[in-house]
Amino acid sequence: MIAVMAILVESYRSLKAQKLFKTVLVLSLLVIIGFASFGFNEKGMSLFFGAYTIESEFLNSESEYSKTLYLGIFSAFIVNLWLAWVATILALISTSSIFPTFLSEGAVEMVMSKSVRRTTLFLSKYIGGLLFVILQVSVFCVGAFLVAGWRVGEWNVTIFLAIPLVTIFFSYLFCVNVLFGVLTRSTLVALLFTLLFWFMTFGVRQADDILHIVWFQGEVMAVHYEQELEEDVQNLATYKSTLESMKEGENTESGLDYYSGQIKRTESNMEYLQNEVDERRRLMSQLDPWVTTLNIIRWPLPETSRTIGLLQRWIDQGRDVTMVDIMSGKIFEEDEQVDDEVFRSDQEAQKKLIGREQEISAGAIIGWSLLFEFVILVLAWWVFVRRDY
Amino acid sequence: MMSAAPVISIDDVYKTFKRRVHALRGVSMRVHEGEIFGLLGPNGAGKSTLVKIIMTVIRANRLSGTVLGHSVGHKPTLSRVGYLPEHHRFPKHLKAGQVLDYLAGLSGVPRRVRKKRIDEMLELVGMTDWKRHRVGEFSKGMQQRIGIAQALMNDPRLLLLDEPTDGVDPVGRREIRDLLIRLREQGRTIFINSHLLSELEMVCDRVSIMVKGRVAMEGTIEALTSDSQRYEIHVEGKIAGDMAPGATSVESVGVDLTKITMPTAKATDVQPLLDKLRQSGTTIHRVMPVRESLEDLFIRAIETTGEGSGTPGAVTGKGGDA
Repeated sequence: MIAVMAILVESYRSLKAQKLFKTVLVLSLLVIIGFASFGFNEKGMSLFFGAYTIESEFLNSESEYSKTLYLGIFSAFIVNLWLAWVATILALISTSSIFPTFLSEGAVEMVMSKSVRRTTLFLSKYIGGLLFVILQVSVFCVGAFLVAGWRVGEWNVTIFLAIPLVTIFFSYLFCVNVLFGVLTRSTLVALLFTLLFWFMTFGVRQADDILHIVWFQGEVMAVHYEQELEEDVQNLATYKSTLESMKEGENTESGLDYYSGQIKRTESNMEYLQNEVDERRRLMSQLDPWVTTLNIIRWPLPETSRTIGLLQRWIDQGRDVTMVDIMSGKIFEEDEQVDDEVFRSDQEAQKKLIGREQEISAGAIIGWSLLFEFVILVLAWWVFVRRDY
Repeated sequence: MMSAAPVISIDDVYKTFKRRVHALRGVSMRVHEGEIFGLLGPNGAGKSTLVKIIMTVIRANRLSGTVLGHSVGHKPTLSRVGYLPEHHRFPKHLKAGQVLDYLAGLSGVPRRVRKKRIDEMLELVGMTDWKRHRVGEFSKGMQQRIGIAQALMNDPRLLLLDEPTDGVDPVGRREIRDLLIRLREQGRTIFINSHLLSELEMVCDRVSIMVKGRVAMEGTIEALTSDSQRYEIHVEGKIAGDMAPGATSVESVGVDLTKITMPTAKATDVQPLLDKLRQSGTTIHRVMPVRESLEDLFIRAIETTGEGSGTPGAVTGKGGDA
């Protein structure tokens, strides 16, 4: 325990000595100030500490939506963009040198010759690396908590869940960084491979989402056309029976022409609808192998975006109106039927995608990703403890 | 001074690195309690590799032996061992006091003890005034002093120093020498790996000379040089060879001086010759006992094993015995 504490204290001193650590703290402070500059008054949304007001009947200090929006801005934008992208890149730059420096010639003999076990050294140093994010996000969350309480009266402790979530998210990347750092003992190589890995997981995730949206759109359209086709089949049967009955009776020529025309139009429409259904089903079957391939590629990768997305899910939990409702404009308009089929299918596909995300439990997202991290760490640990220095 | 169980006792140490570089080829060695033991050898002889194996930084391919009574590689034992690696580097952002605190912490020294010993050790190596300065600002000699201080932080029974006077000025070297002698007087065992033969000669009780991954010579300097002990008698004028029975050489040195070499360590063996020279009216200019220096011994060990100066000692090839 003494050795572990010594390493953690050294890690903290190392972070404190870094200009980048202080720079990120200052930048985080500026982001929090930016967050605080935004608020609500009786008329609407106030910007730059009340210098400007955007009038709104839905989003003002009297509205419950304002609290959802305020926390949503924190989770969907600040955490997603600042903490999960910019601050993470800066943290990776800052922490990439931890293991290569630790294992550099002259330094490694000093620590490896001590009575502390290599496994303890490895794990302590790893946790020491995570300190960067833990400290930064903790300071950030305290700031965000106070600002949200002050600006919209929402003293929501869920904000603090960003600390473990962002740390876990960062650890998915940091373990890759450590593996390459231990293997190559080069800061630059470790950083480069980590960023490549991150962008790869991001790319796979984006491709998977886009593919699923297209697939869902195809499915929604196919189902829609199938429903129309079913209606046409019934209509056609009605037209035909009416026409037959008219032929037997004493009807006018115009009536017979009308139903004959309707039958022709319906048959033509049915042909079109059948073609559309076939086209959509063909597209979906063409996409199926790609969906499977991406699922296989995505299967072992950590769920970086989904992990960060959990914060929004937890903040929205138990609320009548969610951030998605606000962003989609649902709160501003009455439910109305949109005639544009493409637009409707797009909305349906988006809903299905969100539904798919919601179906995956937090335990599955984090557990699976931690399993990936565990495997990578075991590899790095193996190299670390077995190597001659 | 010496106890029955050696502090370091290793046998048949073999180490082969990648590309079949045979660094150690069956090294055996004993270091006894309370002695200063010097490890010598040309570059690449395997000295640092051996020290690193003892300190668990490197794993041997084959090894049997103990350090302080426990198998080599037993980590808890290292809490009673101090080590100064060659070309060591400290985290530059740490101050001198923090370096000692950090490294002693890794050895499991409790915080309360560390706090007390930091000041003591800094004073011991003459660095008290530099406690709150970053080690990144230090000269090589100052870093070496901090290195020795950190090696002593855990109050070790055994101290392994790899080139302890590297980069240290003559005054500093003398201080380190005096410190080593003081530590020996306290009953600690000191193992030094150094190129500075004159330094070692002044402090070492025993030495081991390694060449090509093997121990070429081991023992006290006196025992190792006993064969070379002789008396040299300088007399005025030239004398005939039969005037000096038992002498290994009679040679002319200078304009009017002759040097007679007697292969003996005993002064009594020289007396008959001196009597004979006096009786013959020869003026005896100087009589002195002469012994091989450590440097001579070192060169002899290298020449005996066919190892040229500066040639890397590590052997590469297919037919290694590791």
